[in-house]
Amino acid sequence: MKRLLMIILACTLVFALAACGGNNGPSPAANNGGSNASNNQGDGGQGNGTGEQEPDPVTLRMAWWGGQPRHDYTLKVIEMYEAANPHVNIEAEYASWDDYWQKLAPQAAANEMPDIIQMDLSYLTQYAEKGQLEDLTSYLGEQIDVTNISENAISGGKLDEAIYGFNLGVNTIQFQYNPELLKSAAGVDAIDPNWTWDDYAELSKQAAANGVYFDTGVKEDVFFHYYLRSHGHSLYHPTEPKLGYEDDALFVDFFGRLAANVQAGGTPTPDIRNQLAGNIEDDPVVKGEAIGIFQWTNQFVAVNNLAPAELEMQPLPGPDAEEGLYLKPSMFFSVSKNSEHKDEAAQFISFFVNDVEANKLINGDRGVPVSSAVKEALKDSLSPEQAKIFDFIAWAENNSSPLSPPDPLGSAGVMDALKSWVEKLDFGNVTAEEAAAGFRADAEKALERAQN
Amino acid sequence: MHTETIKKRVPRFGSGRRLRSQLTLKDHLTGYAFISPFVLGFLMFTLIPIGASFYLSFTDYDLFTTPAWVGLDNFTEMFTGDQRYWNSVKVTFIYVFAGVPLRLAFALFIAMMLNNASKLIGVYRTTFYLPSIIGGSVAVAIMWRNLFGNEGAVNAILTTMGLEPVGWFADPLAALWMLIFLSVWQFGSSMLIFLAGLKNIPQSYYEAANVDGANAVQRFFKITLPLLSPIILFNAVMQTIAAFQTFVPAYIISKGEGTPMDGTLLYSLYLFRQAFVFFEMGYAAAMAWVILVAIAIITALLFLSSRYWVHYESKGG
Amino acid sequence: MRWKWLVYHVFVVAFAFIMMYPLIWLVMSSFKESSQIFITAKSLIPETFTFQNYVQGWQGIGGHTFATFIGNSLFVVILSTIGAVFASALIAFGFGRLKFAGKAIWFAIMMGSIMLPTDVVLIPQYIIFAKLGWLNSFTPIILPHFFGFPFFIFLMVQFIRTLPIELDEAATIDGCGKFKLFYRIILPLIAPAMATAAIFSFYWRWEELLGPVLYLNSPGKYTVSMALKMFLDAETSSNWGAMFAMSAFTLLPVIAVFFMFQKYIVEGISTSGLKG
Repeated sequence: MKRLLMIILACTLVFALAACGGNNGPSPAANNGGSNASNNQGDGGQGNGTGEQEPDPVTLRMAWWGGQPRHDYTLKVIEMYEAANPHVNIEAEYASWDDYWQKLAPQAAANEMPDIIQMDLSYLTQYAEKGQLEDLTSYLGEQIDVTNISENAISGGKLDEAIYGFNLGVNTIQFQYNPELLKSAAGVDAIDPNWTWDDYAELSKQAAANGVYFDTGVKEDVFFHYYLRSHGHSLYHPTEPKLGYEDDALFVDFFGRLAANVQAGGTPTPDIRNQLAGNIEDDPVVKGEAIGIFQWTNQFVAVNNLAPAELEMQPLPGPDAEEGLYLKPSMFFSVSKNSEHKDEAAQFISFFVNDVEANKLINGDRGVPVSSAVKEALKDSLSPEQAKIFDFIAWAENNSSPLSPPDPLGSAGVMDALKSWVEKLDFGNVTAEEAAAGFRADAEKALERAQN
Repeated sequence: MHTETIKKRVPRFGSGRRLRSQLTLKDHLTGYAFISPFVLGFLMFTLIPIGASFYLSFTDYDLFTTPAWVGLDNFTEMFTGDQRYWNSVKVTFIYVFAGVPLRLAFALFIAMMLNNASKLIGVYRTTFYLPSIIGGSVAVAIMWRNLFGNEGAVNAILTTMGLEPVGWFADPLAALWMLIFLSVWQFGSSMLIFLAGLKNIPQSYYEAANVDGANAVQRFFKITLPLLSPIILFNAVMQTIAAFQTFVPAYIISKGEGTPMDGTLLYSLYLFRQAFVFFEMGYAAAMAWVILVAIAIITALLFLSSRYWVHYESKGG
Repeated sequence: MRWKWLVYHVFVVAFAFIMMYPLIWLVMSSFKESSQIFITAKSLIPETFTFQNYVQGWQGIGGHTFATFIGNSLFVVILSTIGAVFASALIAFGFGRLKFAGKAIWFAIMMGSIMLPTDVVLIPQYIIFAKLGWLNSFTPIILPHFFGFPFFIFLMVQFIRTLPIELDEAATIDGCGKFKLFYRIILPLIAPAMATAAIFSFYWRWEELLGPVLYLNSPGKYTVSMALKMFLDAETSSNWGAMFAMSAFTLLPVIAVFFMFQKYIVEGISTSGLKG
């Protein structure tokens, strides 16, 4: 009996090794895009006019992060592309945000990155400056059709005169609010489009007096950057490893105001914010406990779907909102340096940003499309919420200033420092002046450190 | 006397030991044959990565470009320049030295409660193990935040008891205790090991003690505790190692950031941020080797102390 | 005696309920409408019971139903558990009962190897597995378990050391070789420890995220723990209902395995009469 067990064990081991061994190599295709690929073989025979001779079959790996709807439509777009280009087989590798970045770093270290990588502005510098991404400049106008895409949109992925990521769509920051709650709690029908930080403080006080939060707090680095821009500075120095502002009075003014709002009850205290799950479903706006939320335009649809009333959009407080506001690439597609099929990868990107039918599926999920032709074609099929976003972006195009360069190396450490000092300030543990000085010291250390 | 019955069973340390010189080549080979899977696995999968991480601890390595040798810079920065590092050390030590004893005591208590010949015992055991099964899930994080929230159940209980409600998410130390409670609540693995250990104590000892008229407390201290001591040592060592490396609860409860004010920034969470958020893998490797030494010293102390309180039935040591 | 019995059971059940509360909450939430989960987080009973979350959740993501993910998880978990438990028992016998040169050093190495935080060995290990061509396969997740798992090795060593040495002596007199001694006498006696290890291994591998996240790239190979995370997206909206439903549903195999194996955690040597 026991001997039998041992034999079984030995066999299992051998079997496991064999089974596992068989799983590498080309089998991912069988598991994933495989069925699509075989379907497309049929269309393949007819050709599609891309070339006289049959091109060699190519397998591209493409990776992105996101939620369920994004996975679903992106797979459809891939199918569409494979149908039109039967020699291309695309293996999709999608995951949640956390898992995505956890995967990508070792892949980069082992030179095993996917050919097409969805890239975020906050990671662009790290991956680009460390030689992991292909400069797309020479592909523009060749593999990537840019006839309908503005120079401005393309330069969103620019770093040191090279294009490391192709802009998939634009975003900007705004205040999204519940007009019914605004009326009942703050006593006004609408917010003045040219409101200022003083107006904001006044409205906050009003709301707090009625037991409602005015807003749910801001993402510190994004909004401080906006505030600094509106004063002619920026969070990071464009060329040197230091902060982009000299005068700590700016920090004191901005975060001092916000901390005052927290203490007045117009913004949740940090401990309340820590208790929230950090997702839209658990947001006070959705629960009817706050009037509005400062966030990106592409998050509008999700929060609007869950909120107790139809939400309105509002530019950020001024003065000088136009200098502060900018259009941000919501995400990029980058081509990895280790890719063996860079041309094919670039062609897919071109399809993704330019193809009207594909963009009817994408439907602005990756930001408002950069191609004017696509934007025009989508106009009629937009939902009311999306139409609002497109309109706001169109307005912002004329009421914003050029994007600052991507965050430098070490920015993650700066964000940690900022968060932690602002938290101390909000809890009343330090004065605004102390926080400003503490942040500067920590931030510059983090930036210095990332240099070497 | 029952105590003597036990004494006889507990061999004196070193008795009957054969000297190494008396071992034959065959003895050595048999020994290595049995541990060969570990030796092979270690040489194939672990040795090189460990060696590499040791080398990396003396470099500046961002994961993507060639590591640059910096000597002891990482260590000097860690020990002299990095306040967050020392904070994470402090937080981790509190977590380990408050959490592990509590968790073990709790696990032993439940295990003894469930070491009972009831028909429902299977169901009971499963029930008490369940909290540990949903351990790392997001649902637990949401639940836990609700329980400890300003208007949550925990503060409601404190208030009815006439105590001040606690700002679990405002006070760094309170937030750490929230994590410690979470770890105590997930006592399942230690409990199960204790249970298996309790089952290994021969009933005849208890019967003999009953004949001698020993009460429950005496039975616990004279029989259960000594005979369970190898298992207690095991749980103490493994739980200490695991507690030093705790990552998931801190990550899910604080959304990966160690809030509030780094109060839940456990060592491994800070190490993770250095490695994969700040891309300072060299620094992270240095941190890893420092904690390795710390854990090794504490484990060695536990093993050394075990001479005085752990009783083995056999003399395999 | 009767009231003592009653007090015991009442106490155990009441205590169990407190311990179980979060799990009950999870299951109950899985029957709530997805958008209500957070809004009604403080109340246990759903206003309206819906099975929609289970239906939607089962559809999975990107055309892969949960059957795929559960199948993948089972494949990984069962193989690695078998490997880890038996290999560990073998190794534990070597450490716990045999004498040979260098034993203390190897034992120290084994303990040391689990003290180093995994984050820093992960990249070099990844590069090794990449060089071996094992990326996007189950091999790097399963194979290492066939070389023993330190936690289980140490666990079984401790159990073997609670067994009376007279056993070995009796067996040796009977002419048992070491291997025979191991699988005839020791292996049956450490069944409780092995059952414990099997339970742990099953559950740990089932919930493991790091290995699958690093080594599995094709969603068709994802395990349950990875698939669950894909319902959530912090940027836009998440399908909490489906996530809760599938979280609850995929607990069933773990609970079943626990229930099956826990009954092996029973009287060991005391009933075998070898003590006499």
